[in-house]
Amino acid sequence: MEKLSDRNNREGIKGWLNPSRYGWERVSYWLQRLTGVGLLAYFVAHIFETSSLTQGPDAWAAMLELTQTPLGHLILLLVIGMSTFHSVNGIRLIFTQGGKGLGNPGRPDYPYDAVSLNYRQKSGIWIALILAGVAMLYGASVLFGGE
Amino acid sequence: MKIHYVTGLGALFVVAVHIMMRLIMPYELSLEYENVIANYHNIPYVILLESILVLIAIHGFNGLRVILLELRQSKAWEDGVTILTIAAMMGIVAYGTRTIIIANGLGFE
Repeated sequence: MEKLSDRNNREGIKGWLNPSRYGWERVSYWLQRLTGVGLLAYFVAHIFETSSLTQGPDAWAAMLELTQTPLGHLILLLVIGMSTFHSVNGIRLIFTQGGKGLGNPGRPDYPYDAVSLNYRQKSGIWIALILAGVAMLYGASVLFGGE
Repeated sequence: MKIHYVTGLGALFVVAVHIMMRLIMPYELSLEYENVIANYHNIPYVILLESILVLIAIHGFNGLRVILLELRQSKAWEDGVTILTIAAMMGIVAYGTRTIIIANGLGFE
């Protein structure tokens, strides 16, 4: 009998990143995790960045020289977009797990589209993407516009 | 997932306040040493910063734990991931709190 540990049906990150399955909901799943990991990396870097305050004004100025550059601002813009998408899509997921926006159960008819993957869910994903774009535009006006 | 949702919604609120505090004056000015240190002398703002630190650390490292548990399942992996993410979370909270405490004690030059 095959041992459980011998079964190698695990796809790991390759399966996780496969964009060909399940449509927009899969893209949303992927983006939610990708933005989450990106934001965690930024959070750790931000804690390290602000810790330079404790070494006095010169250390703070040196850190700002490193981060307040066009590249630093582009990274910040990416963080603004990631955090907006992650927040809005996260709120959609909280509602979804609570059963809101899933539609009513029905008889499975051809072509067997899942009732739960409906226009409400797709609209939520699009709203998250659009708001992320709007937030990035506002962020760009502050960071590059000299407001 | 309740802790993930509660910390996520909490973090959304406190981070929004944190960003708004950056925008009450010109962005470049808000990053000047004296202005940043003044933030750390404001006790309600210090409480806000500590809340951000704790809420995002819990939310972020629990999210990372969930991602890693989705990738592989075994007793050793699950225990290892849980212990490592909790240790990382506690480490980052301790390091961030250290910055808040020291910056709060710093005077103006």
